[in-house]
Amino acid sequence: MAYPYVSERETRVISRGFGDPMQRVLDIYVQRGGYGALRKALGLSPGEVIEEVKRSGLRGRGGAGFPTGLKWSFMPKEPRREHYLLCNADESEPGTFKDRELMRWDPHQLIEGCLIAAHAIRSSHVYIYCRGEFFEANQILARALEDAYAGGFAGDDIMGSGRSIDVTVVQGAGAYICGEETGLMSSLEGKRGLPRVKPPFPAAVGAFGAPSTINNVETLAAVPHIVSNGGDWYRQWGTERSPGTKLFCVSGHVNRPGNYELPLGFPLQELIDDVCGGIPGGKALKAVIPGGSSVPLIDAADTRACALDYEGCLEVGTMLGCASVIVMDESADVVKQVRRMAEFYAHESCGQCTPCREGAAWTVRILRRIEAGRGTMEDIDTLMEITQGMVGTTICVLSDSVAAPVQSSIEKFRDEYLSLIRPEHRVGAA
Amino acid sequence: MTKAPFANPGWAGNTGDFELTESEIRGSDFVGERPKSGGHASGAGAMPFMFRRREPDSEIFRGEYLERIEKVVSRYPDKRAALLAALSIVQEIRGHVGHADMREVAELLDLPTAHVRGVATFYTMYNKRPVGLNLVQVCTNISCSLMGADEVFRGFLDHIGVQPGETSDDGEFTVVEAECLAACGFATCVQINSRYYENVSADDIPDIVAHLRSGGGE
Repeated sequence: MAYPYVSERETRVISRGFGDPMQRVLDIYVQRGGYGALRKALGLSPGEVIEEVKRSGLRGRGGAGFPTGLKWSFMPKEPRREHYLLCNADESEPGTFKDRELMRWDPHQLIEGCLIAAHAIRSSHVYIYCRGEFFEANQILARALEDAYAGGFAGDDIMGSGRSIDVTVVQGAGAYICGEETGLMSSLEGKRGLPRVKPPFPAAVGAFGAPSTINNVETLAAVPHIVSNGGDWYRQWGTERSPGTKLFCVSGHVNRPGNYELPLGFPLQELIDDVCGGIPGGKALKAVIPGGSSVPLIDAADTRACALDYEGCLEVGTMLGCASVIVMDESADVVKQVRRMAEFYAHESCGQCTPCREGAAWTVRILRRIEAGRGTMEDIDTLMEITQGMVGTTICVLSDSVAAPVQSSIEKFRDEYLSLIRPEHRVGAA
Repeated sequence: MTKAPFANPGWAGNTGDFELTESEIRGSDFVGERPKSGGHASGAGAMPFMFRRREPDSEIFRGEYLERIEKVVSRYPDKRAALLAALSIVQEIRGHVGHADMREVAELLDLPTAHVRGVATFYTMYNKRPVGLNLVQVCTNISCSLMGADEVFRGFLDHIGVQPGETSDDGEFTVVEAECLAACGFATCVQINSRYYENVSADDIPDIVAHLRSGGGE
């Protein structure tokens, strides 16, 4: 099996089924030990499952890195009404393409993780909110779920445990904002995917007004392995504060793009050079976005110093995000790429908050003007000023995500902006 | 093994380094034929909804489709939550979501028409007006753009002879730019109706277009 690309540097825990079509087949999955973790979890109390996940140090893989076990512990211990587990499978951050692979290669791993998490938070209904465009992966998941129901692994009285948990696949219809946790809840309820003000947090008031926990696909995929092998086992990889393995989605200018599962803390430079076979044509590295389009981009020097864990990325002024590594070689046009990312956010802004709606639109206009050679020095200052007003001023962080690439590119690659401004327009500017 | 009818078979593992077949990668045999009624209620809301085949005049919520939406409704605490699934069925049958059909959805789910229209216009995947039989959506976001997506987009427009968003005279094609399709490692990614074509380069375009023109698309 040689799909996708694999590297001997990898530690394949959640990606062990990648490239093996038999992994989707329920009987094979079970033969390989599948649903053993669910059986074990159902024999434990919800509190014991949460303790094990806490011990593992697993942090949310959707971007924010919040400790998973702690998040689960916020849910009511004595539910007075039906409450929910939501799985965020609305993968749409530019540069990220891991959840689709997790769903299409190993759907039962995700279903098992969902069921265990539902047990841990005392929920009896899981909604897996899938990105609309993922028709292929969504159908594989729906098919596998049908098999899980038929096999007695989902639905009523799971494996004779007396515990009943339903799982429903929900399909979106194309809106980046529905990947934001409260936007997802709005969409799930049959509304426009507008994010909501927090507090109240989802654990108090989430989907359908009920307490809800929301976890990313990759987070839930790791749960069966943690329950089977124990939290301490998971800690053999990664760092003290960022334990475990993580899928790194590498795209852009590398010889072997793809998803690679590596221990957290892995050096970014080695990911590019060794795991992904370096940059095509031996070109020099210009910039890397290590966590998807919402995080600041870094230059070659920072790349050499960057360890890929939550803390290591912060040290070089960026974020791990969902570990979507976008590599740009010396031929890349930074201003054009930043403009393209800004256009994305302007298109995807839900329009509720003025700083985001107006800020993103104006950022795009100014970037287009600069790119077309009609910019002035003042435009660069205006971009900084507008984007500074977009940080921390809105309901959700989509607005902040516009600021990250714009500000970091002006800071790190100012010369590229200046080279686009005609000499006569540089006169008299700051 | 499915023999690819054109040079770029349009799946992620087509770089020549891999041994898997299209069906093994895309899971088509595993999924098999799913009934229009949606199969098991747990996955009834997850059906593809962009096809070449269109029925402009038929009743929408009838027979198997009605059965499917009832299954979807049964999974939620209220009917409104089935709205996206209902709009998706409209598009599955019509190829777009028009005003008259929005009213029908509103009636079906006991919702104000304004709410249905608000939702239908919020989500990018719902076509608010008719589009070509093959809706070609080229991702031009950062990862694809770095790998030449602009040339791929331009190539589709030039080869078909349309402007962005315009439908070709024969009604076969509408070509638009798309936002990130989450296939960044397989750039350039092009979504055509309900499937992804991955690793597309400008050289692949004539074959892909010929294939679609002959009715080979989904």
